[in-house]
Amino acid sequence: MAFSSAVPAGERLPVTVLTGYLGAGKTTLLNRILTHEHGLKVAVIVNEFGEVGIDNQLVIDADEEIFEMNNGCICCTVRGDLIRIIGNLMKRRDRFDHLVIETTGLADPAPVIQTFFVDEDLRDELRLDAVVTLVDLKHVEQHWDTEEVQEQLAFADVLVLNKSDLVDESALLAIERRVRAINPVARMLTSENADVPMQHLLGVEAFELERALSLDPGFLVDEHAHEHDDAVGSLALVEERPMDLDKLGSWISDLVSSRGPDLFRMKGIIQLAGKNERYVLQSVHMLIDGDFDRPWKLGERRRTEFVIIGRDLDADGLRAGFHACVA
Amino acid sequence: MAQAAPLVRELLCGDLQQPITALAWSADGEFLAIASAGGELLLLDFRAGCEELLRGDHDNSLDVIGFSADGQFLMAAGQGGEVLLWELGGTGVRPLAMDPMPLGCGWIDAAAWQPGGQLLSVAAGREVRLWDGGSRQWREQPLTMPGTIQALTWSADGVQLAASCHGELVLWQPCLDTPLDPPLRHAIGSAGLALAFSRLGHHLACGLLDRSLLLWPQECQGQPWQFSGFPAKVRQLAWSDQPGRLAPLLASASAEAVILWTQVQQGSKAWQPEPLLWHEKRVNALAFAPGSTLLASASSDATVALWDGRGRLMQPIEGQGAGFNSLAWRRDGRHLAAGDAQGRWWLWPVSVPVRERQRSSAGSGFG
Repeated sequence: MAFSSAVPAGERLPVTVLTGYLGAGKTTLLNRILTHEHGLKVAVIVNEFGEVGIDNQLVIDADEEIFEMNNGCICCTVRGDLIRIIGNLMKRRDRFDHLVIETTGLADPAPVIQTFFVDEDLRDELRLDAVVTLVDLKHVEQHWDTEEVQEQLAFADVLVLNKSDLVDESALLAIERRVRAINPVARMLTSENADVPMQHLLGVEAFELERALSLDPGFLVDEHAHEHDDAVGSLALVEERPMDLDKLGSWISDLVSSRGPDLFRMKGIIQLAGKNERYVLQSVHMLIDGDFDRPWKLGERRRTEFVIIGRDLDADGLRAGFHACVA
Repeated sequence: MAQAAPLVRELLCGDLQQPITALAWSADGEFLAIASAGGELLLLDFRAGCEELLRGDHDNSLDVIGFSADGQFLMAAGQGGEVLLWELGGTGVRPLAMDPMPLGCGWIDAAAWQPGGQLLSVAAGREVRLWDGGSRQWREQPLTMPGTIQALTWSADGVQLAASCHGELVLWQPCLDTPLDPPLRHAIGSAGLALAFSRLGHHLACGLLDRSLLLWPQECQGQPWQFSGFPAKVRQLAWSDQPGRLAPLLASASAEAVILWTQVQQGSKAWQPEPLLWHEKRVNALAFAPGSTLLASASSDATVALWDGRGRLMQPIEGQGAGFNSLAWRRDGRHLAAGDAQGRWWLWPVSVPVRERQRSSAGSGFG
């Protein structure tokens, strides 16, 4: 299933999904978003009612409700409460220009993300701007093994390492390395009291294909898997030779149909044989989107870079499958 | 009814500040209530020839409104999670606002008065709550469902209440049920988004999120028919109050497609669908004119279309370029109210063709 909409991105309302484990600072960040002079009229959907309360701002309470669309597969779950509430809210479309959705600390972000691509109304009326995940630097070590924390890290487009004033430099670096091993593609910010520049949170357009990749240039120097004890990890793949789109397409569709629930996100810039344009590709579980984006620039290093974030990744098998897609 | 007709001889329209979300006529057709996404509530009193803004400068959307069957109360609910009631003293009398009743359940977008009775049913999160207009109290035992209630409707005789959520559809007889006679719970494969009982024959239709439609036979007996393959979620349903050869006509809306369903036989291939193609964008409301088979459909494409009982487009009506959100026929079947996404409400006098009405004289005596 592709996740692009027929409606141009500029006409759709941008949505930021805010995740983070209990106590990571989501409410503090929400209050910053609501009070910050960014000139945007922001509507907020929260799960813990009463903690966020700013006059003249649209704050709506939602009761997290998962709809399983098909046999209970994680790839087909959506948030039913969001479909209903955003449906009501969109009648007042002109009253706000950005929507922020706070998830509970124990939530898997996937159903929220999928809601915006699977639901026919939301897909045409909204666009997912970015998934922002807050990490509690002081306490994350205690929760590291929870599935929720790893999923929240894996799905992030922006990672905010919060409470940097409460840890020393070496602890910060250790956590940063560990977070990077799970998610090498997210933009990483460090903050005290969730104080981060708004332009790095709102209007990020992480789900627009042309912005899909903001890879750390150092990360892809060599192809490698990030070895760690964590079940969730990432694999970066690089191929200098041009690829074949048909081979790549069938490899990816086979991959998501067999491993979809374990593949959280994939992002890639593809060099295709005989094409002067880059092909960009991204996925969320079983939702895949790909398109040509722009011609390769003069002097730009023409090669394919592909990142897979998932659970229990079989690095050798994935590497073999990937390289077999060479034209 | 006859004396009221001249009051709306001409097309009427007016504006609220925000998109119209709901319209409701009183049973006697003397009052029309109009609600907006900004929380405005306007009451038009046709006999007195006046209008009153019952609620003005609020910023909490109202999404569902309705008059009690006896015309004593007007209800409104929405984003604020509270039920608002006004006591009506008849034409020319200023409505009296009662104290708001917060239910602590988040956004309320489904509520309905019992036809011929005094119960108000409200979908409050995962509970159906009942307020009794006679005792002016909430009934003690709400009906609990496994998910947030998406739709709620009464049967025409006011005996049966249907409610749906993700995974379940419940049929409840709140005035009859005893612990020995519990509500009937049907498992459904998706979320029921729209519910409608037919006035004649007591069929029940349920439109689902998974692009399908469930249709229970007469008296809701037996297994439902299931129709899938809709282009999108089935979000609107309407039954004609006129008798058909078997069941009355049913209309469904899914994305921009309206489908008219006719029951042609019993058994498996019982229903014949007739697609009504005209709208270019999502259809947001459907309503048959009382006493006829004339169907009105309102769309985001800024038109309201009028169709005859065979699915032929009789007349498209254009507004001011904004999508239409809601529709309500006056009970005389001669006046159609509509509300659009810019806050304008319209009232059109409609001359129903004789052919669409003649069935009513041959029918079973309704009207």
